[in-house]
Amino acid sequence: MRYNEKELQALSRQPAEMAAELGMRGPKKGSVAKRRLVKLVVNFLFYFRPDEAEPLGALLLERCRVAQEEPGGFSISFVEDLSRKYHFECCSQEQCQEWMEALRRASYEYMRQSLIFYRNEIRKMTGKDPLEQFGISEEARFQLNSLPRDEQTCTGSQLGVLD
Amino acid sequence: MKLNKRSVAHYALSDSPADHTGFLRTWGGPGTPPTPSGAGRRYWFVLKGNLLFSFESKESRAPLSLVVLEGCTVELAEAPVPEEFAFAIRFDAPGVRPHLLAADGQVAQEAWVKALSRASFGYMRLVVRELESQLQDARQSLALHRCVFQKSVTGCNKPQAPDRRAPGPENGHLFPRDRNSNGSVEERGSRPVGRDLTEWGLQGPASLLLSRGQSPVSPETSCFSTLHDWYGKEITELRRGWQQRAKGSQPESKQQSRP
Repeated sequence: MRYNEKELQALSRQPAEMAAELGMRGPKKGSVAKRRLVKLVVNFLFYFRPDEAEPLGALLLERCRVAQEEPGGFSISFVEDLSRKYHFECCSQEQCQEWMEALRRASYEYMRQSLIFYRNEIRKMTGKDPLEQFGISEEARFQLNSLPRDEQTCTGSQLGVLD
Repeated sequence: MKLNKRSVAHYALSDSPADHTGFLRTWGGPGTPPTPSGAGRRYWFVLKGNLLFSFESKESRAPLSLVVLEGCTVELAEAPVPEEFAFAIRFDAPGVRPHLLAADGQVAQEAWVKALSRASFGYMRLVVRELESQLQDARQSLALHRCVFQKSVTGCNKPQAPDRRAPGPENGHLFPRDRNSNGSVEERGSRPVGRDLTEWGLQGPASLLLSRGQSPVSPETSCFSTLHDWYGKEITELRRGWQQRAKGSQPESKQQSRP
């Protein structure tokens, strides 16, 4: 799959939702935790060597699972292979909690679910469709039935299987 | 630069809804050799969120390319571009080449430009925040009309603190008969209070707000994420209750990952 690295590099320079130096360990067996500057920008998590301007890599956060590991540590894995985990070490459980919450809300799909939810609640309460003002009320992606089967309840895939 | 390509491809092929799809001609991009006639190569494009994927065909199981639609503008492309119904995705960042694409007709061209212009995460976030505040307004004006019911459902708050307190004896194995009729969710930002289960039995006013089968939202629901978290806590506590009964012992107070 081709992509333009420069597009991602430019994105990594955008204002971040969250940024911190964390310990990071890749999913491969025997990988060692290294200090990385981790930056959350839209639905991407970029990671840099602490003094470098260009990111080492990026993780797209769609369909990811964020889980508490040891106290002060969390992991990110992806729906197609949940055993492959990227591990992150925080300096406190508080920081860990902050990151986990931010990462769980960092996907476009999560926002889409929120939008559909709010739209329906507003419609139920006021009888009006709030998307009409944006001219996007008819778009298929904002319809309740457009949610994939596993996300049609509020519980959705973010709750998923509790560890 | 590394990217979790396998997961990205999986997302591209997943059944999460596509925001726009169609055939487009592309040319001049990196790695796309020109066709003998000079016309663009025709690929199947799928827009999901802020990601534009191309595929060799509709049935392909692997994306050919990815364009991340952040920090860019989309405009109709003008001559001397060789293709009709062309448009360009231009990036603000210096040194990033624009993507030139062409649709099969004017309607498709306009639809694509519209869809791609609204694809950014920021746009979606704006819309969500706007709706969130509209919901809050609607909730507040509704609450004003229901202050009578407000009085009777106070005290029935959900704990919102991330650290889970040790459950009281009533938590974990006493649940309201009708789950859906519990109308009260703690306001965002207010202090968490232990669940007062004497309120669970209060069916009357709460059930007027809701009916079975609907999401148990009430004027007190502050936002999706609160409701989302609330459901998650209910499930965690339910599970703890089952485990308690199954083991017949005190529940572990290990740190659970928040759902």
